[in-house]
Amino acid sequence: MGRRLAVLAIMIGLVAVLFWAGIHNLRHRRALSQVPHITLIPASPADDNSPAPEAEGAELRGKDAPPFTLTDLSGKQVSLADFKGHPVVVNFWATWCGPCKLEMPWFQEFSSKYKGQGLEVLGLSQDDGASPRDVADAAKKIGVTYPILMPDEKVAKKYGGVDYLPETFYIDRAGKVVDVTAGAPSKDQMEALIQKTIAAGGA
Amino acid sequence: MKRRFIVKKVALIITAIAIPLVAAAQISLGGLDRTAQAKKQHVELLTDSLQLTANKPQDVELRFRVEPGFHINSHTPKDELLIPTVLKLDPGSLHIAGEQYPPGQHFRLQIGSGEDLDVYQGEFRVMLRVQAPKGATTLAGSLRYQACDTAACFPAKLLPVQIAVTAH
Repeated sequence: MGRRLAVLAIMIGLVAVLFWAGIHNLRHRRALSQVPHITLIPASPADDNSPAPEAEGAELRGKDAPPFTLTDLSGKQVSLADFKGHPVVVNFWATWCGPCKLEMPWFQEFSSKYKGQGLEVLGLSQDDGASPRDVADAAKKIGVTYPILMPDEKVAKKYGGVDYLPETFYIDRAGKVVDVTAGAPSKDQMEALIQKTIAAGGA
Repeated sequence: MKRRFIVKKVALIITAIAIPLVAAAQISLGGLDRTAQAKKQHVELLTDSLQLTANKPQDVELRFRVEPGFHINSHTPKDELLIPTVLKLDPGSLHIAGEQYPPGQHFRLQIGSGEDLDVYQGEFRVMLRVQAPKGATTLAGSLRYQACDTAACFPAKLLPVQIAVTAH
């Protein structure tokens, strides 16, 4: 009799602890949800000095950049390996992505400014089903002349899925991913990341 | 014997109540990781049923809500490259004589030189002119939209639309 009551008491105690943990967890998550998607949304991207937002492919930081070969707008095959020894910015973008189109002129500006230090910028379109001509027209309208490469889902998967755009990988001369951003950073943040990438991986 | 039965029954009831409660608390606001957040819908359908007068054309509204902090392009975005919000319906036995999208709201994307957009935020309503035969049916289809926040965009998604229609 006493044993049965003890078992019942333990069970009630266990359930009470589980219940309390569940409620506590719910409250905690509700509190977090008051600031939705904080890792993705700088309040004022243009003048925010906080660290760049996290990306899905952030786990690639410090690792070798996944290799790829894609087709450019003229039909030529372009490989990441072609740029070995150069700091490379790999920017995933799409013609339908407003923030992408607004940050791309900065990549254009910095590709000229840091050309002497070997900087290369590659724009990887994520416009599934679009023709190279459509993508070329959009790139021209945006005002970029660096290589634009056509999409391949397998490459996006290698880079963490690229579930939201823009997503940018900063790759040093040794082929290692120095940093990753999702969402458009401020211009100052972008330049700082480029400088960091140029400085990393040896001269 | 009877006491043992009662103890077992009480334990069973407590467990049966507690487990779903705890599970609900765990998943209600998402045991969702960030990947799941990126893949989830950012628009929800608020209308789940319509009551109509049979065989009479009438205006109905389908109510949708965009997740706070996000916007989607209106049906007529300013830039041809942007993906418009479009409702595609399979009328079945219904006759849909027309559809009318609400005008978009102005939204300024504050990055670099900035861009003026025409978007839906919060709740928006698509009006339909519908005629239904007597009885019950389902209005099915999908809403295609493309969501962004202030710094990033998600690929276009399809929101399934399933609305129970009853005409008397």
